[in-house]
Amino acid sequence: MKRKYLSSVAIMLLVLVVMVGCGKAPAATPAAEPAATPAATPATTPESTVTTVDPADVSVVFIPKLTGNMFFESANAGAQAIAKEVGFECKYDGTTNATVADQVQVINSAVNQGYNAIAVSSNSPDGLNEALKSAADSGIKVVTWDSDVNPEYRSIMVSQGTPDQLGKMLVDMVADQIDDAKNAEIKFAFFYSSPTVTDQNSWVEAAKTYVAAEFPKWTLVTTEYGESDAQKSIQVGESILNTYADIDAIICPDSTALPGMAQAAKNLGKSAEDVIITGFATPSSMRDFIKDGTLKQFGLWDCEVQGAMGAYIAYWLAAGNDFVVGDKIDIPTVGEVEIMPNSVLNYEYLADDSGIVLMPERTIFDINNIDDFNF
Amino acid sequence: MMHKIKQFKAKWEVSLVIFLIMEIILFGMMNPRFLKIKVLLNSANDFVTVAIIALFMTFVIITGGIDISMGSVVGLSSVVMGLLWQELGFNIWMALVIAIIVGAICGAFNGYLIAFVGVQAMVATLGTSFLYAGASLVIIGFSGISAAEGIGGFPDSFRELGHGNLGGIPSSLLIFAFLIIVAYLLLHKTTYGRRVYLTGINRKAAEFSGINTKLIILSAHMLVGMGAAISGMYITSYLSSSRADHGATLTLSVITAVVLGGTAITGGEGSIIGTALASVIIGLMTLGLQMAGLSTQYVGIGIGILLVVSVAIKSYFSGGKVFSKIKRRFLPEKS
Amino acid sequence: MLIIKKIFEKREITALAFLVILFLGVGLRNPDFMNAQSITTVLKGSVLYIFLAIGMTFVLLTGGIDVSVGGTLGIAAAVSATMIRGGTSVPVAIVVAILIGLLIGLMNGVGVAIVKVPAIIMTLGMLGIIRGVMIVYTDGKWVENLPDAFKMASQANFAHVNIYFILAIITTILVQFYFSKARTGKYFAAIGDNLEGSILVGIPAKKMIVIAYVLSGLCASIAGVIFASQVGFVTSNTGVDIEMVAIAACVLGGVSLSGGVGSVVGSSIGALIMTAINSALIFLKVPSFWNKSIQGTLLILIVVSDVLIHKYFEEKARKQRLSARAQCLDKSVEDSKDSKDAHISTESTFVGGNGQ
Repeated sequence: MKRKYLSSVAIMLLVLVVMVGCGKAPAATPAAEPAATPAATPATTPESTVTTVDPADVSVVFIPKLTGNMFFESANAGAQAIAKEVGFECKYDGTTNATVADQVQVINSAVNQGYNAIAVSSNSPDGLNEALKSAADSGIKVVTWDSDVNPEYRSIMVSQGTPDQLGKMLVDMVADQIDDAKNAEIKFAFFYSSPTVTDQNSWVEAAKTYVAAEFPKWTLVTTEYGESDAQKSIQVGESILNTYADIDAIICPDSTALPGMAQAAKNLGKSAEDVIITGFATPSSMRDFIKDGTLKQFGLWDCEVQGAMGAYIAYWLAAGNDFVVGDKIDIPTVGEVEIMPNSVLNYEYLADDSGIVLMPERTIFDINNIDDFNF
Repeated sequence: MMHKIKQFKAKWEVSLVIFLIMEIILFGMMNPRFLKIKVLLNSANDFVTVAIIALFMTFVIITGGIDISMGSVVGLSSVVMGLLWQELGFNIWMALVIAIIVGAICGAFNGYLIAFVGVQAMVATLGTSFLYAGASLVIIGFSGISAAEGIGGFPDSFRELGHGNLGGIPSSLLIFAFLIIVAYLLLHKTTYGRRVYLTGINRKAAEFSGINTKLIILSAHMLVGMGAAISGMYITSYLSSSRADHGATLTLSVITAVVLGGTAITGGEGSIIGTALASVIIGLMTLGLQMAGLSTQYVGIGIGILLVVSVAIKSYFSGGKVFSKIKRRFLPEKS
Repeated sequence: MLIIKKIFEKREITALAFLVILFLGVGLRNPDFMNAQSITTVLKGSVLYIFLAIGMTFVLLTGGIDVSVGGTLGIAAAVSATMIRGGTSVPVAIVVAILIGLLIGLMNGVGVAIVKVPAIIMTLGMLGIIRGVMIVYTDGKWVENLPDAFKMASQANFAHVNIYFILAIITTILVQFYFSKARTGKYFAAIGDNLEGSILVGIPAKKMIVIAYVLSGLCASIAGVIFASQVGFVTSNTGVDIEMVAIAACVLGGVSLSGGVGSVVGSSIGALIMTAINSALIFLKVPSFWNKSIQGTLLILIVVSDVLIHKYFEEKARKQRLSARAQCLDKSVEDSKDSKDAHISTESTFVGGNGQ
């Protein structure tokens, strides 16, 4: 009996070995390397210059809110491209769930593995604080992109814009399509992923404030959620159109809700003339809908560039570079960017070693430029 | 017969221990940093949320039921505590106690639906998982706080719950150890525990022998509710943030831990030590696979294979005959 | 009274009553919910769940459970969508997707019936594995911009009814006939009712259990292709948590999780209820932070009232029999009938998974 048990353990271990064997293949660098680097890099004093550090000795872990979302996959494509260009190691690591606890686990394991820098798109403004603090305590550089944490806990944020800017952009994309938008009495709705997701809610809040101030005659009829579920998004989309037959505009700042809503409108035979649909999504997911006239315009920022900037700045800091707010960083393939003070995002926390890099610009996609973008 | 089963269970735990040790050695060979005491101890911080619920879920699964609403209870208790503290000005520890009571009520309601009304466990708890997750959104909606931002800024004394340590041992491990002892005593050393087993082995027979099986099932679900709430308190402290979506993804991990620990999904068989060991194995495996360079999104494949293979091995030893043929074919030297 | 009792004995009919009440209730508040367009939306949305529920019914009848269907749906959708976008003809893509479903079902079936891994563990493990494989296959990316012709097929109507929905209904009816008329069709419920007994009377239990899982995989893969066609893009979280909805649909339709009881018509109606709830929430025009709690409350109300109604009638029937027996001298006939009914009653109110 005992031998049988030993053999059972042996089988389980065999499976484990096979899995680990498989696991090593996708990761470009064997585990031994990150193990070796921390010994070298924490010793790197702030004064040391870039030239003393071999890019191959620097490892960055690039963490999305969740994996399997086109937006983050595109950002990762940008991050991997710049990592290859410069020659540092960049691991893409996240879970399929956009939850704080899962993300903390990923960050902790990155710390344990001895990565030199973290570039993260946070699932919560304050939920990662503790994990990032202990990461910083063990000498790891922290950069955020897309979605920020409290500025005390990171060095630089690569921002696509403030919630105010993005909220305004959402509303303006609707207003552009209406004659005399100031005085038009229109009914509109918001449709995005869930009430607990941070960034989309912050844009929607900003959009509501902006509408109240600029377009007092607009009425918000409903806010619905698609739970990042494509099939549900279509059903909810159709139900919105059926319930509010006279609705004029639907704003969908979510990369699943927008194509879902567009498909729903198409299923019901509605085009951009009947109802204005706009929001944020990747151009590749919306190309067909723009071309067949289901919607006229929608927006996004270049997430590949954002990913590249996030990953590069994380690398740049980990390579021993120091900065004070106001400095400029030269990012290969992107260009020179300036580190702005935290106040550009209305933070109260100001420090020389904590700043924000703004994305050059956001793009509005329409029939004229949709083919120019491939992400 | 009973004796034989007991012997078998003990052996299952032994093989879990052996597996755990070999797992640590193997991952340690792949990445020596894995073996740092600090890394191993702190890994508990991340898996203890699953482990706490799994301990109490063992009770429910032994009675032959299942509870898939505990993830929502984690979020609800976290929100209740945060709101009581921030909006209503409760003392933080008072808020914590009330949140755990709320968890117990949630569990009791599950148990009531299942034992007294007679709804099938999986469907009842699916319904309540929507209900509890919805309830946390509703109370947040009424409080006027953004569900997306959560509630933070808890006092340091509360932070210690998730971040403190005693002689270098992190609080998460201490909480885990304490709850293992509580659950172990409750399940293995009390009349109540024996009744839980009897209810699961044969509910009718238990009923005839004078056990109020309805109460046993209700109380088991209540324990899970409390476990989920405790886990919710821990995670709120650990992340210093009270959010409605805490725990949303725990369900499958918890069930995996319980089942890997040797608890029969059909009820009547299982042990706290097994569940505890399995929780640690899964927690370390997640970390180990990550440290071996595997991206986290693929870790599920590993856990899935581990689950199927280990249970297949287990069912082989409890008498699957055809499997032994397969084994004879593949591993002739060992049979 | 007898008629009412008979009606309530048919679980499908109670399920249908719930569906009607749901429509009437929401329709009362917002008449738009009853118009053709809204109903079409619900019918279209339910097709996926109907297919999943049909497959799930086979498995549940045998006393098992299949929680891997969400994963199967996802990978079938991803593979078929990738092929169709790449220019493969649609039938070939469908065949490949179905083969994948059959393969997954076969592995589940062999694991459960032959290796004797408990069903929930086998399929739970399989779910984790398939999800990972799907991410490897798609590299985490979405499959987007499927050809319009493939997408618009999902909107085609026949006599004003969505064609996929008609397909789902036809499948339901055929399977229902198989269950009620064919000899092998009755095996599934017999196995779930009493495994040892069914083996003793010569039913090839292992084979039938494997077939049940294979059919579940098949249905899930068909649902996957339909997903690709209806949605037009396949996200990498396709099918997450859908298995719970499918299981709930079956239970709403009167399928017992402990096996042996249920019909595929009931499951399909259950699938319609689950879909209708989603739409109903929007038509109710309540602030959307209420959605989840309303969804949960509705679900609990339905299952609880279902259980209570059946308990009530069983209790009543039992009392009638008892009083009849007191008067009747000829006990033997009554006894056999009573024990048979009592058996059914314990089954439908039975709680947990003891009934392996």
